[in-house]
Amino acid sequence: MRAAIAVLLALLLAACAGREAAPPDEGETTLLVSAAANLADVLPPLLDAFQEQTGIRVQVNYGNTAQLAAQIERGAPVDLFLAADRQHVETLAAKGLVLPDTVRVYARGRLVLWWRADSGLALSSLEDLQSASVRRIAIANPDQAPYGAAARQALQRLGLWEALQPRLVIAENIQQAFQYARSGNADVAFTALSLVVNESGQRLEVARELYEPIDQALAVVKGTPREAAARRLADYLAGPEAAALWQRYGYELPALVSR
Amino acid sequence: MLSALIVSLKVVGVATLVIGVVGTLLALLLARVRFPGRTLLELVLTLPLVLPPTVVGFFLLYVLGRGSPVRDWLGLDLLFTWQGAAVAASAVGLPLMLQSARAAIAAVDPQLEDAARTLGRSEPEVLLRVTLPLAHRGILAGLFLGAARALGEFGATLMVAGNIAGRTRTLPMVVYDAALNGDLALAAQTSLLLSGIAFLALFATRRLEQPAQR
Repeated sequence: MRAAIAVLLALLLAACAGREAAPPDEGETTLLVSAAANLADVLPPLLDAFQEQTGIRVQVNYGNTAQLAAQIERGAPVDLFLAADRQHVETLAAKGLVLPDTVRVYARGRLVLWWRADSGLALSSLEDLQSASVRRIAIANPDQAPYGAAARQALQRLGLWEALQPRLVIAENIQQAFQYARSGNADVAFTALSLVVNESGQRLEVARELYEPIDQALAVVKGTPREAAARRLADYLAGPEAAALWQRYGYELPALVSR
Repeated sequence: MLSALIVSLKVVGVATLVIGVVGTLLALLLARVRFPGRTLLELVLTLPLVLPPTVVGFFLLYVLGRGSPVRDWLGLDLLFTWQGAAVAASAVGLPLMLQSARAAIAAVDPQLEDAARTLGRSEPEVLLRVTLPLAHRGILAGLFLGAARALGEFGATLMVAGNIAGRTRTLPMVVYDAALNGDLALAAQTSLLLSGIAFLALFATRRLEQPAQR
């Protein structure tokens, strides 16, 4: 019993010591960004470039957009919110929790169908999904995930949704949908181009007129003590310097599309 | 993974302390004192055992977040800190501690406590020299189980503390991220590490529950 208590006290002391040692960056600004999980690949190089230019360090909290919005609503100390859609950012803006003048679309996602190169499948259109060799189709939850909703929309517009129902495997998000297909547990997956742009395998981009644009919006959180730095990061991410990187990672830029 | 291990150790260290102290006091209260609402309190404290962790996290987001007494009156801003993660880990570990410790304390023969009282011992002395020593195996077993559960906590922690590398990313979050991003080697290594620690905690619990057997 004494030994157990001693171990506990040691752990607690270590924990407290860790806390004392935590802020080594006096005077240096560190931003905290809550970012949609689909940005996990593209964000690190963007943030490295931003830090090199400005000296501002950025930490990222990756997660599901709805959960990230709930955290901001309860006052989590986040400076900038990068959502996977527009709706959650606009809802926060309507509640006065983000700065309305900072709300903007920073990237537009592209929906693709992906399958393993060694699967023997040869798909040249979404209609080919009806082929008997496609038994399982992974898709992110269409009621929650933007890419899942887009996939449903595309299949509905083609009149395939009902017929393909029995073959659908619903994943929690696009990463999971992609992992289902990559591991061979599903034959194909609807996912984001950004997730598979550096992957081997086959892919078919879904025609853009088949689904509503998957606009990803950002906003600076209201009341942050680091508003100036957060605005700089927002400008950088939505600005011309970041554009090439966004495109290389499989995103479209709304400014280039619509204007 | 190393930074996540450190975060996890800090979280589990504090959570174990909280579970140990708060759990023992609550177990005493539930086992020895009759008061109105006792069953209600016990059920509420046991809820985290059966609720989905995200629901626990969602409640905690309100308990710790904007507009809550903890934040606005006490000035404790725990969201997105490892201390917040420790609160979440404590909440889900506490029921396991309570189950075991309460049963152990209830099993202590009240006549022994009365004997100590007739010999002139004060209540705190009775507690520290008779009740707790006699119940210590059950209390420690519950503590190990609660600590193991705290180590494995994921859903509630993610809600309350976020998933920030080096700050609040714990070992279970490393597994989740690695599995989603297809880094199966890292996911496997971290899973093995967690399994190993959990196995040791369960083994310790077992030894405490059945001291004579090998």
